[in-house]
Amino acid sequence: MRSFTQECLDAATAAGATYADVRVTDSRTQALSVRNGVVEGVSSGSSFGFGVRVVADGAWGFSASSEVTSESAVRVARQAVAIARASATVGARPIILSPLEAHTDRWSGPCGTDPFTVSTDDKLAVLFDADAAMRAQDGIAIATGGMSFLHERTTLASSEGSFIEQEWTESSAGIAAYAIGDGDVVTRSYPNSHGGGCFQGGWETIVALDLAGNAPRIAEQAVQLLAAPLCPGGTTTLILDGSQLALQVHESVGHPTELDRVLGDEAAFAGTSWVKPGDLGTLRYGSPIVNITADATVPGSLGSFGYDDEGVPARREHLVRDGVLAGFLSSRESAAAIGLGSSGAMRADGWARTPLVRMTTVSLEPGTAGTLDELIADTTSGVYMETNDSWSIDDKRLNFQFGCEIGWEIKGGKRGRMLRNPDYTGITPAFWGSCDAVCSPSEWRVWGLDNCGKGEPMQVAHVAHGAAPARFRNVRIGVGR
Amino acid sequence: MIDSTRGRALATEAVAFALAAGAEQAEALVSATDHALTRFAGNRIHQNVQSEDAEVSVRAVIGTRIGVAATNRVDPQGLEACCIAAAEAARLAPEDPAFPGLPAGCNGEHADRVSASTLAFDADQRARAAGAMIAASAEAGAIAAGGVSRDHSVTAIANSLGTDVAMARTTVRATVLSTGAEGGTGWASFSGREVAGLDAAALGAIAADTARRSAGPIELDAGTYTVVLAPEAVAEIAQFVAWYGCSIKAVEEGRSFMSGRLGQRVTSPMITLVDDALRASACGLTFDYEGQPKTRVTLIDAGVAGSPVTDSYWAARTGRPNTGHALPAPNSQGPLPLDVALEPGDAEASGLIASVKRGIYVTRFHYVNIEDPTRVTLTGMTRNGTFLIENGEVTRPVKDLRFTQPALEALDTTLGVSAFRQLVGEDGGALVPFLLLERFTFTGRTS
Repeated sequence: MRSFTQECLDAATAAGATYADVRVTDSRTQALSVRNGVVEGVSSGSSFGFGVRVVADGAWGFSASSEVTSESAVRVARQAVAIARASATVGARPIILSPLEAHTDRWSGPCGTDPFTVSTDDKLAVLFDADAAMRAQDGIAIATGGMSFLHERTTLASSEGSFIEQEWTESSAGIAAYAIGDGDVVTRSYPNSHGGGCFQGGWETIVALDLAGNAPRIAEQAVQLLAAPLCPGGTTTLILDGSQLALQVHESVGHPTELDRVLGDEAAFAGTSWVKPGDLGTLRYGSPIVNITADATVPGSLGSFGYDDEGVPARREHLVRDGVLAGFLSSRESAAAIGLGSSGAMRADGWARTPLVRMTTVSLEPGTAGTLDELIADTTSGVYMETNDSWSIDDKRLNFQFGCEIGWEIKGGKRGRMLRNPDYTGITPAFWGSCDAVCSPSEWRVWGLDNCGKGEPMQVAHVAHGAAPARFRNVRIGVGR
Repeated sequence: MIDSTRGRALATEAVAFALAAGAEQAEALVSATDHALTRFAGNRIHQNVQSEDAEVSVRAVIGTRIGVAATNRVDPQGLEACCIAAAEAARLAPEDPAFPGLPAGCNGEHADRVSASTLAFDADQRARAAGAMIAASAEAGAIAAGGVSRDHSVTAIANSLGTDVAMARTTVRATVLSTGAEGGTGWASFSGREVAGLDAAALGAIAADTARRSAGPIELDAGTYTVVLAPEAVAEIAQFVAWYGCSIKAVEEGRSFMSGRLGQRVTSPMITLVDDALRASACGLTFDYEGQPKTRVTLIDAGVAGSPVTDSYWAARTGRPNTGHALPAPNSQGPLPLDVALEPGDAEASGLIASVKRGIYVTRFHYVNIEDPTRVTLTGMTRNGTFLIENGEVTRPVKDLRFTQPALEALDTTLGVSAFRQLVGEDGGALVPFLLLERFTFTGRTS
């Protein structure tokens, strides 16, 4: 591979590139899904290709191909340079990259049992057991289950001398039970909605989920939900479970602290940010107990790697410390624009895409409020919500609205009646400013998220968020009711 | 980039490999793409990318067992390995007693939707288009961001029952956001097959003018307003209604607004929603991902729930005709309408505005999501040009608002539909007019 990447770099520099990198990616996937006792899909896939990113005439160009040959190495590298030269004709300003030491290294993620060695029969058996357990509950109209696996191997080489090989395995699985009544559909998922639990690791991560063991509980809750009252409208104290908080962190802290958004590079598509570069160290993002980190070194997390796709070593940094903005997710270019070093957050969705600033494991650090039961016991009245159902947030990441699968009233420190279709809305700094309790480390876990969309053409990143349940005061719930 | 002939040959070759690997029936889908996109922000080009790929996806059938495998290694060795994997997956999969077999052979001719000028739309030309879109904003002291893309794709499908179809397509898309002083923003976009239809300077001027007019927005209380929705906003609503409600799978499972309501009124009679990949201006495929010809389906007919779309599996299962709306296998979503169009009315957009005593004009929405699939309850934000309408005129810009609104209930209050329609979005996109809706509920503001 080293000779191929060198051919790409040589062709790029010979064509006039002042900087070049090449990423070769070889990935393998498998997905299985069942629905009401029937297999909906057993599929596998593989994708192999390379992308060359260059700076020429002070502007960026990127070209990629699935033909990994010497001929295409030269052709694609020259095309990247030609594209960069076209870029330079419109408003170019010199591209400055933050300094980076060249690295030659290998990194691999954790994997106990290679999921690609586990038989399809064994995988389907896990899904069918859970499917049967859900459908054993009267009133379940639809039961679904799915698993997916990814193995990816990448080689990154740059004209600055880096040569980095990385490989990792991801395993994901989840189940959902649907109850359908008079014009109403309710869903309960385990361990999470939107694909379930997603891990960097092997088959052992799937076994540990115990899908079948949790199936009866979510099926029963789905049926109970159908008869439960709608979540009422009002302003109240809100406790969120870790999985919903993971998405809350993702949308209202992760995305707005991506420095490319802050600088306006994603303005036309995903939007910008309410955060400004000059806010660093001064902006009150949340209450003093709010601490949020970006950490690409968490073992077993979808947000972990050895080096980002610019070759910057993985690291852990605070985005919010004691409630104050403390950092950004950044690239070499965006960080240099505000006089910083890269936070190591450039990631690409496969060989055909240029890297963008993406999240790693962006986490709400645990607090001291004890267990979820203790937090509820400490709450006079309010609502507890679990598991995301829908999400929406504005282009500056200020005005959000989330729906959850299930809620419960809290009265006198006790969990009361179940509530259907709970949702809540808020404004980012006011919401985080109202956080007055975060549960302790015993309740903290990492939630993988494999569907983070950003950029044009759309790239889907695999990221993660650590969270423990937390409490927020004066939150508007039951929107429109 | 492979052409249609090569795509067809690859698909046929893959079917043969799959049969040799033990499949009783086989289907191959070849998707080749050449994508180029020039993005700009801060009045400069900041990303400029091109990529080419060719992938073959094989569905192998043994009895009623199905396995799918895909690869972008399209040399004979890669293809054969992929087909062996598909057949092996089929052997290991449980039976699906409801699977009717692959659809019968279909080898009708499908005219390419390719523009020579679009094929030639290279990085230099895209840079000039980007510069033209930036110019009006730069002149006004505003900041432009957006992109101009060119896509060339070849899709070929073959199956062991005689299906052998292919189609090449080109599409061009351009977007521009202008950000001016005092919170003013404006937006314009173009989607089409022909680069000749793209007037980059005009798009830039529209965006810059909207940004100028939307500077210094006032704050409006949340509440229910009469609205005029521009095509970009209408497209969001039309596509959510179609995607969540108009698949036979959702209808059969009770997850759709159509469930138990076929033939009943669901919106104002002014609303007719169709899926029509065959219209002359459409950009999408004229066959589905099983190679079956797409047909025009009236999803909502003058306010009445019409027909959901089907594919071979759901047609056999329900006794309905196959409308040709299959997605690539494996498909857990069921068939989907991907070429949505809302039929035009006879009003001028300006006439719709003129008829409003007090209301809100919405250029587009942002980050719309669904809260309740059976009612198609949507929430999202307004963006890039939201204005107050007073006494028939657009008067003042308004700060962006959050809406939470059952889409069908809003469409039930339709008071006017424009004759003008715009193709919005990527791939098949949505062809939609301006709409005047009497009641639309905004539930929050950002203050």
